[in-house]
Amino acid sequence: MQVVKLSLKKANKIPIEADNVNPDNFAGKTTEEIKAIPVLYGNGQCPLGDLFNVEAEGSDSVENTKIVFEGDVSRVKRIGQNMSAGEIEINGNVDMHCGSGMKGGKVVINGDADSWLGCEMAGGEIILNGNASYYVGAGYRGESCGMRGGKITVNGNTKDYLGEHMCGGEILVKGDVGLLPAISNNGGKIVIEGKATMPASEMKNGTVIINGEVSDLLPSYKEEGTEEVEGVTYRKFVGDVNVGGKGVLLIK
Amino acid sequence: MSEILIKNASVCDPAQGINCETMDICIRDGKIVDSVSGNAKVIDAEGKLTMAGGFDGHTHSAGKINVGRFMNPNDARKNLVPGLSGQVARTEKTRAQVGYNTPNTYAIGYRYAKLGYTTICEAAIPLLSARHTHEEFKEIPILDKMGLSLFGSNWQVMEYIRDKEPEKLAAYIAWGLKASRGYGVKIVNPGGGEAWGWGKNVSGLYDPVPNFDVTPAEILMGLVEANERLQLPHSVHVHCNNLGKPGNYATTIETMKLFEKVKPSRDRQSLHVTHVQFNAYAGTSWRDFETGAPMVSDYINGADHLTFDLGQVIFGPAVTMTADGPVEYANSRMLHEKWSNQDVELEDASGVVPLFYSPKSFVNAVQWAIGLELALLVKDPWKVMFTTDSPNGGSFVNYPEAFTYLMSAKRRAEVISGFSKMALDRMVLPGIDRELDFYELAVMTRSIQSKIYSRPEKGNLKVGSDADIAIYDILPGQIDPTTEYEKVKKAFSGTAYTLKDGVVVVKDGEIEATPKGRIYWVNAKVPANIDSAMQKDIDLKFKKYYTVSKSNYMVEDMYLENPVEIGTEGVF
Repeated sequence: MQVVKLSLKKANKIPIEADNVNPDNFAGKTTEEIKAIPVLYGNGQCPLGDLFNVEAEGSDSVENTKIVFEGDVSRVKRIGQNMSAGEIEINGNVDMHCGSGMKGGKVVINGDADSWLGCEMAGGEIILNGNASYYVGAGYRGESCGMRGGKITVNGNTKDYLGEHMCGGEILVKGDVGLLPAISNNGGKIVIEGKATMPASEMKNGTVIINGEVSDLLPSYKEEGTEEVEGVTYRKFVGDVNVGGKGVLLIK
Repeated sequence: MSEILIKNASVCDPAQGINCETMDICIRDGKIVDSVSGNAKVIDAEGKLTMAGGFDGHTHSAGKINVGRFMNPNDARKNLVPGLSGQVARTEKTRAQVGYNTPNTYAIGYRYAKLGYTTICEAAIPLLSARHTHEEFKEIPILDKMGLSLFGSNWQVMEYIRDKEPEKLAAYIAWGLKASRGYGVKIVNPGGGEAWGWGKNVSGLYDPVPNFDVTPAEILMGLVEANERLQLPHSVHVHCNNLGKPGNYATTIETMKLFEKVKPSRDRQSLHVTHVQFNAYAGTSWRDFETGAPMVSDYINGADHLTFDLGQVIFGPAVTMTADGPVEYANSRMLHEKWSNQDVELEDASGVVPLFYSPKSFVNAVQWAIGLELALLVKDPWKVMFTTDSPNGGSFVNYPEAFTYLMSAKRRAEVISGFSKMALDRMVLPGIDRELDFYELAVMTRSIQSKIYSRPEKGNLKVGSDADIAIYDILPGQIDPTTEYEKVKKAFSGTAYTLKDGVVVVKDGEIEATPKGRIYWVNAKVPANIDSAMQKDIDLKFKKYYTVSKSNYMVEDMYLENPVEIGTEGVF
């Protein structure tokens, strides 16, 4: 097992883009080598060691590498981007694009996450013990496919456009979500325990289950009886008929 | 005085009938000359194929492409052709580049230059938004540029044709070219743009345009009469009716036949039909869709009044953009894609829809085959201009890939092997064994453009021509393009040298310098009395309908960098 502990030397206002900070890049490297990894800082580049205290223990494969962020990193973006294995634990708030495009491994965030958490993620797992902002599991601007696989669990609330353009994988939100969750979905499964507004517009495919209160249910859904999932009976809606969709929307 | 001597080049220049002969090329002050002094800078081109700079005669590189950009922000990160696409950081010599189908303006200049192209012709400038096109032209480095102005669904044009006022029509065309600083007359789905304003389309050459009581055939004949009366350097440039519809090959041939009796006013074709691939479909629906290329190419083989370009499809993502509004609506509904639609007031319509050409789709596979069938079935390369209608059929950065399809039956068979049986039944390409050589390729990519656009100083290496030269690291005779197509693709993807007006702009596939190119535009002379009579009519149009005034409509000189005014004398 290799454990790498990172903590900011001092809080930054100018964002750091930590797209190199993932187990794939850290595995088997010494503290010194990790310190030398370049990260983008503002409009320039500098070694990771200039911004973070780095402590690496042990040396192991990617699967057995764990990165731990101690403290708030709410101005550090793209942590865990494109990671394929291993684990990242963040004990604090994190900035945008955390776990975007990740293919495997696990990210645990003990704090809040900014927008684009797990966007275009293809595999692995993200557990957020806090609230998320906009576009959880969404796609890049203009892209027709967002999250493709893996699982995101949010143990708090999220803002608007949850799982936009999702094509696969699973999102579970324990709290409430904002406007237009599951917009333009084409696959995958979203479970919302709390409240939602205007869910699943333009959904072509996929499943959305909402246990809480739904506001402004779109008129472009056909009600087709009921369906039972894990002992709970839901009203079943199919649509969005505007796009010839075959998505399933289950509401209590 | 700057002098360059290109030594021992293996020159392929169809304009002079030179087929890969070793010779020297002398350059002085941006022009090709007979000889240079001993002080000339020497470029050793031994063992390297040397041609005139490429000339893309139909590309969407300024203007409408910008709608494609803001509809497809995701295009910025596409990198399907490494080295010629994707995000590239700025360097000391170049600005930052992004994109694939809709790259930023700088990337368009750099990437064309890397392919050995030095001149481009923007295929569609709506008069009303010409200023924007020129603003983009200004920021496309290296290349010489020109653009074709849209006249095919213009109210004033249709009224003059209806009222049988050919002289005023010619005066209006001359004024429109000046207003937009355009080079030629582009006609897109004649009448269709206006019909689209009413949610309709025209169904063929003899379907009258709503409210104007003229037919597309009359529009075409009216405009070609004006075109030849003004002795414009380019013929009318026609995007036929019914584009993208199964069975449209008949309309295409019918359109070509209309022009048989037209007498060109200059030594060039009387008609250029563009992206014929999209207009050579047989069948009656997408179910029984099949190639119409054999019929179209049969006709072209027997005709000598026209030229055409391909609109070759490249598999992968593309962005369709055209003034043919109804076609884009149909595309977006059929493909469930995003759609942008624009109304150009009294002039035309337009639309933009991104799409994906997949070899697994039998329709896309047949489209891909049709472009190549046209290129290979038409016997005379001097009728064929190579294009992908970039980015409608695919981005221009794929030209080297497309060249391998034209030059190697083996390469085509490789692609075809992935097609479904259904697709194979609907195409004739597998039975075609013609393979182009470098000479024929040079004709289609630079020599014929010189003739089509009456630009004698472009597309050839004659003494006196512009020193726009592409030197590729490949030697015909030493390699066999029918089997070693990877080498062909590599060589055409990045020149050893590209020279623009005698300046080395690309060396070993990297940008060396980024001089500003020229803008060509046509100023056709019209008698003052006819012009002022016409002005009265358009003044009324501006007063009653346009959202801008005439004085704010004209593209001013400040928008043009290094303008080259081509004067012509109208015959009245």
